Amino acid sequence: MLFFDLCIQGVIQGAIYALIALGLTLVYGLLRILHVAHAALFTLGGYIGVIVTNGSGSFLLALLTSMLIVGVVGMSSYTIIYKPLLNRTPLIALIASIGIFIASEELFRIFFGAYGLSYTNPPLQGQIEILSGVSLSHARILVVVLAIGLLSGVGWLAINTRVGIAARATVIDPEMAASSGINVEMIRFGSFFIGSAFAGAAGVMVSLLNNLVEPTMGAVPSYKALAIIVLGGLGSVRGALVASLALGIIESFGTIYVGHLLDRDSIAFAFLIMVLMVRPQGLLARG
Amino acid sequence: MKKHLNTILLSSILAFGGTIVPAVADNIKIGFNVPLTGFAAADGQSALHGAELAVKQVNGSGGVNGKMLELVVYDDQASPKESAPLAVKMITKDGVVAGISGSYSGATRAAATIFAESKVPYISAYAIHPDITRAGDYVFRTSFMGEVQGRAGAKLIGEKLGKKRVVMVTLNNDFGKSLAAGFREQAKNFGVNVLAEYDYSIKDREFGPIISKIKADKPDAIYASGYFFTAGPMVSQMRAAGLNQPIVGQEGYDSQKFIEIAGKASEGVMITTSLDRDSSSPETKDFISGFAKKAGYPADMVAASGHTALLVVADALKRAGSSDASALRNAISKTSLSASTGKISFNGLGEVQKDVQVQVVKDGNWRHHSVISDAVLLAPPSK
Repeated sequence: MLFFDLCIQGVIQGAIYALIALGLTLVYGLLRILHVAHAALFTLGGYIGVIVTNGSGSFLLALLTSMLIVGVVGMSSYTIIYKPLLNRTPLIALIASIGIFIASEELFRIFFGAYGLSYTNPPLQGQIEILSGVSLSHARILVVVLAIGLLSGVGWLAINTRVGIAARATVIDPEMAASSGINVEMIRFGSFFIGSAFAGAAGVMVSLLNNLVEPTMGAVPSYKALAIIVLGGLGSVRGALVASLALGIIESFGTIYVGHLLDRDSIAFAFLIMVLMVRPQGLLARG
Repeated sequence: MKKHLNTILLSSILAFGGTIVPAVADNIKIGFNVPLTGFAAADGQSALHGAELAVKQVNGSGGVNGKMLELVVYDDQASPKESAPLAVKMITKDGVVAGISGSYSGATRAAATIFAESKVPYISAYAIHPDITRAGDYVFRTSFMGEVQGRAGAKLIGEKLGKKRVVMVTLNNDFGKSLAAGFREQAKNFGVNVLAEYDYSIKDREFGPIISKIKADKPDAIYASGYFFTAGPMVSQMRAAGLNQPIVGQEGYDSQKFIEIAGKASEGVMITTSLDRDSSSPETKDFISGFAKKAGYPADMVAASGHTALLVVADALKRAGSSDASALRNAISKTSLSASTGKISFNGLGEVQKDVQVQVVKDGNWRHHSVISDAVLLAPPSK
């Protein structure tokens, strides 16, 4: 029973990682940029989730508003930060991204206060017993449902629609794609929107599970998501999803059985190093 | 690379933020290093409000030795690499007569060494690492060491609550580890059997796996260390997962924010701390009402500790009759003061000797539960 319970906890964590890592891997695939500031969008999502829920009483509204606003902010981050730097080495964009991320923590603190925000009436706290002795709150179940729903939606788009095919073509060879009449710029905007909106959704869900959003909420995802996309194979969406789930489960068991030796992050990075020793290209990267 | 940027950005913030107090000649300057940005900024702000309130109270009643007190505030980001140069600056450039740390252990230790070497009195308001006071004769601490509070926790669970099968959840920094050491040291004496201990890091907010394991362990009580921003999510997740055992925490929980985060799940949670909200002492009552008015939110342990540390310095300045460092140091060591966190006196090492307050969450507020006043159990190390 404990085994099953720990697996479920791992899947929940993995679902959150997957929602965050998707945007990062999309951006890397398209622009070859490590988008560290993505984690700031995750935090922003959490803040919007709490503020809108407390103001309107509707969690659904909060979730949708958060995804929309964070998606738009993500798109503008492309226009404002990355686009002017595309002709420089990726290192410059990375530095800009780190700078934005650090500044954002202090901006959140200045605007929303150092103490962080909580839901006045946290929604979705009811329990469902999924197996005897293993019960989960609605919020935890929603995390997994949301991740599966959103990610398979994007997967469907990528495989079955012209836009999706165009996006994949852009990842493989942007110049060829552009010369075949694909609007590369639109693909980039779309990817930033979707990736950021998902990070926003993850932020809302994490804020609900912890009933707390803090300025530094993005600190762990900022590097953990990088580890995930490296683990999955840089630029591979499927790899990032597998890596998210694997890391969630490894951390879940690791926290209990080796937690006194290694903390959660160390477990994740030890796993990353072990995988890279065997498969330097990552779990699912092509060749 | 990230670190460099961090330093550049934050030192520019410091350049603007470091000169909050206008320099006025002939005031008695007291240095105050406190995290106002970064992860510990919330505690830092509370501590600063507490110290500022104390300055206002002292100056309002005529100051000290005919002079006004002036707080020289610097943001140390709870980081030793910030606090060490700040300590040098406070001593050499600002000419403070004493320093107070409103910061965490890492930053406090680094600054304490410098104050001790320069023979300027320094008080740790709430940092708990044992080595802080060992930096030298000029360093004091007005809060409990982690070990002392851990011992009190063992007594609370084993004797007062009569729970014998306990699981520990330990924050893996100096705060959590020293609490755990004190708890384990005394557990046997109170018949407490520690079934298991799980570590977590200060960055963790998600305790699903640990909670699953605790459910399988079936303890009678849970001893969990942490700060309000880790304990709030932890307690709410524990209750949501159906763990209904008593949860005992410590002063790290001691904030209204803990209750806000954990919500209904916080009801019945007990902590060992320094501040008694239902105290009948006029010093504590004045502090609690004055703080709420000044800060706009209810007082917490960190605020009371900042307040107490400043009053200790002010009181010693009065008794010393001058700002001379060695006279001031001797006056502090002979402190016997009723402050917002109780009756304060120091042992030979500069560790505070006072009772431990047990508070419990009742109807969404911290309330008085009991007092642990066992001089032998609570004796801090004197070497």
